[in-house]
Amino acid sequence: MNAMTVPLANYIALSAVIFFIGVAGVIVRRNPLIMLMSIELMFNAANLLFAAFARAWLQNAGHIFVFLVITVAAAEAAIGLAIVVTVFRTAKTVDVDDVAFLKG
Amino acid sequence: MVHHVMGVEGYYPTLIALWLLPLAGAIVNWTFGPQLRRTAGPLASAVMLASFIGTVMLWGVATQHQSSGGVDLVGAHQTLMSWIPGFDFGLLLDPLALLWTLIITGVGLLIHVYSIGYMDGDNAFARFFAYMNFFVFAMLTLVLSDNFVGLLVGWGLVGLASYFLIGFWFFKPSAVAAARKAFVINVAGDVGIMFAIFAIFASVHSLSFADAFAYAGSYSTTWLFIICLCLFIGAAAKSAQIPLHTWLPDAMEGPTPVSALIHAATMVTAGVYLVARCAPLWSQNQDAQVLVGTIGGLTALLGAILGCAQWDIKRILAYSTMSQIGYMIMGVGVGAYEGGVAHFFTHAFFKAQLFLASGIIIHALHDEQDVRRMGGLLKKLPFAFVAIATGVLAISGIPGFSGFFSKDQVIYGALAHGYPWLYALGILTAGITAYYMCRLLFVTFLGSYRGQIDPSNLGIRHPEFAGTPHPASAGGHPSTSSGQAHLAHLDEEHNANAEWFMIVPVAILIPFTVLIGWIMFGGENSPWARFFAEQFPHPALLATSISEGMTGLITFVVVLAGIGVAYLRYATASAQSNAVARLRNESIRMPGILSNAFYFDAALDLLFVRSSELLGRFFGRYLDPHVLDGAVRETAISAQWLGTLTRSFQTGLVRAYAFILVFGAACFVAYYAIVAGGIH
Repeated sequence: MNAMTVPLANYIALSAVIFFIGVAGVIVRRNPLIMLMSIELMFNAANLLFAAFARAWLQNAGHIFVFLVITVAAAEAAIGLAIVVTVFRTAKTVDVDDVAFLKG
Repeated sequence: MVHHVMGVEGYYPTLIALWLLPLAGAIVNWTFGPQLRRTAGPLASAVMLASFIGTVMLWGVATQHQSSGGVDLVGAHQTLMSWIPGFDFGLLLDPLALLWTLIITGVGLLIHVYSIGYMDGDNAFARFFAYMNFFVFAMLTLVLSDNFVGLLVGWGLVGLASYFLIGFWFFKPSAVAAARKAFVINVAGDVGIMFAIFAIFASVHSLSFADAFAYAGSYSTTWLFIICLCLFIGAAAKSAQIPLHTWLPDAMEGPTPVSALIHAATMVTAGVYLVARCAPLWSQNQDAQVLVGTIGGLTALLGAILGCAQWDIKRILAYSTMSQIGYMIMGVGVGAYEGGVAHFFTHAFFKAQLFLASGIIIHALHDEQDVRRMGGLLKKLPFAFVAIATGVLAISGIPGFSGFFSKDQVIYGALAHGYPWLYALGILTAGITAYYMCRLLFVTFLGSYRGQIDPSNLGIRHPEFAGTPHPASAGGHPSTSSGQAHLAHLDEEHNANAEWFMIVPVAILIPFTVLIGWIMFGGENSPWARFFAEQFPHPALLATSISEGMTGLITFVVVLAGIGVAYLRYATASAQSNAVARLRNESIRMPGILSNAFYFDAALDLLFVRSSELLGRFFGRYLDPHVLDGAVRETAISAQWLGTLTRSFQTGLVRAYAFILVFGAACFVAYYAIVAGGIH
């Protein structure tokens, strides 16, 4: 077993930073494509954590979860882009603030 | 538990037939009325004749008497069906039921025949006979039932038939009001019987008369009194005993044959039947006897007093009916069952006769019912005079006439069973009865005809309410009005035989009215006493200081005094020549307490009608709009408010949802980090 050259705390900190960049992106940006990319960032922050912990504690279940998340993220991106296309066809815009059909 | 029996069990198709035939007649008349037209009356009468013949044929089995295994079986019993295992419904024809059935079918037959003449020309001829047949079926159900539930069914159905027939001329608002009043008061009585049935069932777990009576000795005194009281509430409502009598005078709104059959001869005596049928219960409870005897005696007196103050010929007879039923109830109440039932028997004849004869007068005078507008009818209607005069002599209790024997049995029975005050009350009432019945006779038949005299000269203040039966005639001359569309027919398509249909039944009743009382002559050896020898309990009688013969003599003297007063007031030569002024004076000076019938209507109105109205108004004004409607409204309003609140979160903005999501997640994290003290 190799000694870790990078401490676990660094991975966690990086992951947190990436995650909050993603959160900020989803909340602040109005372009749905950017928002989907931000969500992708949050997924990858989680993936990074999975991989880091799996490596730190030598448990391979974490790696398997990473693959699962990548698959789900791919599916999510496909559905998200499809929604964006449909919304554009209906509303002739992709600005999420202009699309508020479900206002109660 | 052993089930007891009354009557010899057997298969009696005649009994079932005589019971169901009137129902069949009613259904046929109801269904095919328009097709039957004038044949409806003869058809209904034929049904009654068949029923009556069936009853006579069953005389033998009804009076049979068997002793088996120490149990006395009297009469015939036919089990019809078992509606719940252990609860049989059957017919019981014992001497008591036989007597009632004979009157219902026999007098009923005569009244049906009479109605063919009386109702001739009425648009609803078939409907009338359908109701009449239906009534007979209901009444037979009442008296032939061998259990309390069947009795109650009959009890309710006769009330319904009575409602139909009082309101027969439903275009008269007064008739509709009278029908409703009768129905409501009678239903109050039905509820009383229902509670009695609950009480009986709670103690013996059976509904048959036989079981209820067999265990009569095992009830506690209080419980038995409650049962008797509840039964008597029903009896009082049906038999017009105070304070539930107020519907009977109003019931005279119905056609006169109805008054004769239902509101004189049969239905109103159902209370007498009930007490007589439940004699085993009553004879075990002194309190119940005192209660029923006293109410009966008071009703007899009150009805007689009010009879003196009436001007409507049918209302006079109605109050006399109430008074005579008071006698019957007093008789069966004190324990003189044969006496009370005897008075029912003779009363059925003479009161039916009086009503039918008054119907002849009303018919002849084109629906005039106010005796003040009659007078001098002796020459015009000699047959009606004979019929009413014999009826008056019988009801007054002139020795030799039927009423004498039965009334004497009741009055003397009160003394012999230890109720001297009821004895005195009975004798007093007999005198008043003689007075007001002779008043009716004299005012109607003596002097000269007053129909042409202006009503106000006779002291008739409101001609439309005083005696004319139809409000349609309010504006015009009361006796000559032709405002009644249905009666206008009468003269156009007058049946030539109509009068005979009315005269013959009355003529048949006259000999009974005069002579039937003799079957009660001879004390314990009379046919009457032997007929009921096995029926009623016979407690030892008290030794009385006044013998039965002496009682008859005293009563006779009091009755003569009553007749004398009536003679002096209405029949002397000067009274006849001054009749108009005298009647006017009497009408104007009539004390309010009498013309308002002791304010019973007002009191009942205040107690029940007004209080219910008040309660209804309270509910309508406060409970319903504020509590019930309020609850519904407040639920709706709060749902709406909640909706408005939660709606505001649904902005439709994706970024807002995302923010809420993040905020929620942040809250979770904060909770675990701060409140739960870190994630473990």
